[in-house]
Amino acid sequence: MKTDISPYIVLVIFVSILLSPIILITFNSFKNTSETFGWPPTIVPKEFSLEAYYDVVNSYVPLTLRNSIIISVGTMVVVLAFSIFTAYGISKYKFRGSRQLSFAILTTRIIPPLSLIVPFYILMGWLGITDTFLCIILLETYMNYPLMVWTLKGFFDDFPQDLIDSALVDGCSRTNAFLRVVLPVSAVALAAAAIITFLWTWNEFIYAMIFLSTPDVQPVTVGIFQFVGDEVIEWNSLSAVAVFTSIPAIIFFIVAQKYIISGLLRGAVKR
Amino acid sequence: MKRDTKMKLSDSKFGLLISLPGIIFLFLIVIVPLGMLVVTSVLRYDFLHPIEFIGLQNFYDAVSSRLFWLALQNTIAYTIGVTVLTLAIGLILALANSRIRTLSGLFRTLLILPWAVPAVVSGLVFRWMLDPGVGLINYTLMQVGLLREPINIFGDPSLAMISTIWGYVWTAYPFMFILVLAGIEAIPRELYEAAKVDGARLIHSFRHITLPLARKSILVGVLITSMFSFRTIDTIWSMTRGGPARATYVMGFNLLEYLIDYQNIGLASAVAIIMLLLIMIYALPLMYYVTKE
Repeated sequence: MKTDISPYIVLVIFVSILLSPIILITFNSFKNTSETFGWPPTIVPKEFSLEAYYDVVNSYVPLTLRNSIIISVGTMVVVLAFSIFTAYGISKYKFRGSRQLSFAILTTRIIPPLSLIVPFYILMGWLGITDTFLCIILLETYMNYPLMVWTLKGFFDDFPQDLIDSALVDGCSRTNAFLRVVLPVSAVALAAAAIITFLWTWNEFIYAMIFLSTPDVQPVTVGIFQFVGDEVIEWNSLSAVAVFTSIPAIIFFIVAQKYIISGLLRGAVKR
Repeated sequence: MKRDTKMKLSDSKFGLLISLPGIIFLFLIVIVPLGMLVVTSVLRYDFLHPIEFIGLQNFYDAVSSRLFWLALQNTIAYTIGVTVLTLAIGLILALANSRIRTLSGLFRTLLILPWAVPAVVSGLVFRWMLDPGVGLINYTLMQVGLLREPINIFGDPSLAMISTIWGYVWTAYPFMFILVLAGIEAIPRELYEAAKVDGARLIHSFRHITLPLARKSILVGVLITSMFSFRTIDTIWSMTRGGPARATYVMGFNLLEYLIDYQNIGLASAVAIIMLLLIMIYALPLMYYVTKE
């Protein structure tokens, strides 16, 4: 049978267009300042330079990268700690109203996070915790918890009940059955949920921008703006930060693609 | 065993107990703020006057502003633009990818990579590529003879809007692609084979097999993409900040302007509630319909 090559042509064209920004910005980060501002613009640096990386390392960016890691890991831990139990309870031990409750959890996703900025603005002021990791981790947890409950609920729904039952027959308590049997078997799904939460938090900008005003706590999505001046944008340094910012996610996407995708689809489609 | 018999909760109570911490958290961080939002929306709360009840005055003030209607119009244009483009790209890529075997995994990995880039960074990347002074896009267009001299894309209202739309589409299409691809791959191959035997052409099997059977994933994709683009201002923030001449000023900017620049909590609350109601009017019926399917 003759293979149809037209899908390949379409895919190659789209891949070249859609991936070119990533490649071009990476090249740009290796240009020196005069080349990055030169006309005509170059694609591949004429002269390979680490000037931009030197500037970035000597700016606030390493600090904001550290903050991004603290915020993302913190959120990941809190979200998982809450959502694992909620999802398991809703999925395996149905209680009065658990169906409605799981739907209600999902509908909180409809609320635009921008709308809740107003009461958060007042609340964080009252509590005196603006400009702290606690504040931003609370907000990011609110953004991620509902989706993770759904992702994990979809997973636990498919979890073989026999496995839990036999543990219970062997004398395990329900808590032990969960901790010793269900969790180890679910490690991959949990890892996928953890990675998704990490990435979503890493990429978040608006809450961080509104509620964090010093580089001591700002994540890199805010930190990148120190190279965006009113008059001049330092394009090569900015490109270097963009590369740093996108690296963790690109690595995760290449390594754990299959699990991330199945986790996300579970949260989105399975109802 | 001993412990179990001593404090034996019924299964449903156990379920409620372990679900509770997360639910209490969600209640505190969503329901309580929502209640506050409703209260502050009917107050004069601007750090200038004593706080007092003013009924629906804030809502009246919000919608009597010309900026509100401008923002609404821009938001609708932005949301429709993002959703249509995202759907088109996601659909084309999913169809192409579902028709190949060799290298399909590689193409899938490559195509989802832009997802990894934060939307706010995507905005900066395209701001660089479109820049009149250093951008490759202007240069390329001049080389192929489409332009005589570089144009300032961010100085032109409609071009600026299109650019901010594209900046967001670039980070949003991978999700649509994956979702639609999963929908298409769930369709039994035999259906296509049978259609082929019957002499159906590609376009027919797309219309009569792919579209109806992958409809649910497409709808979910459209629902999520449109909801998110309605409320996401990241790319606009990093590309135009709402300019030029407010051509990309969307509702999020309207809200933030009242909240941050004017410190008018009451007015910002009214805009926040209007945003919430608009999205509910749009999304709830669609969500209900999708879950019903």
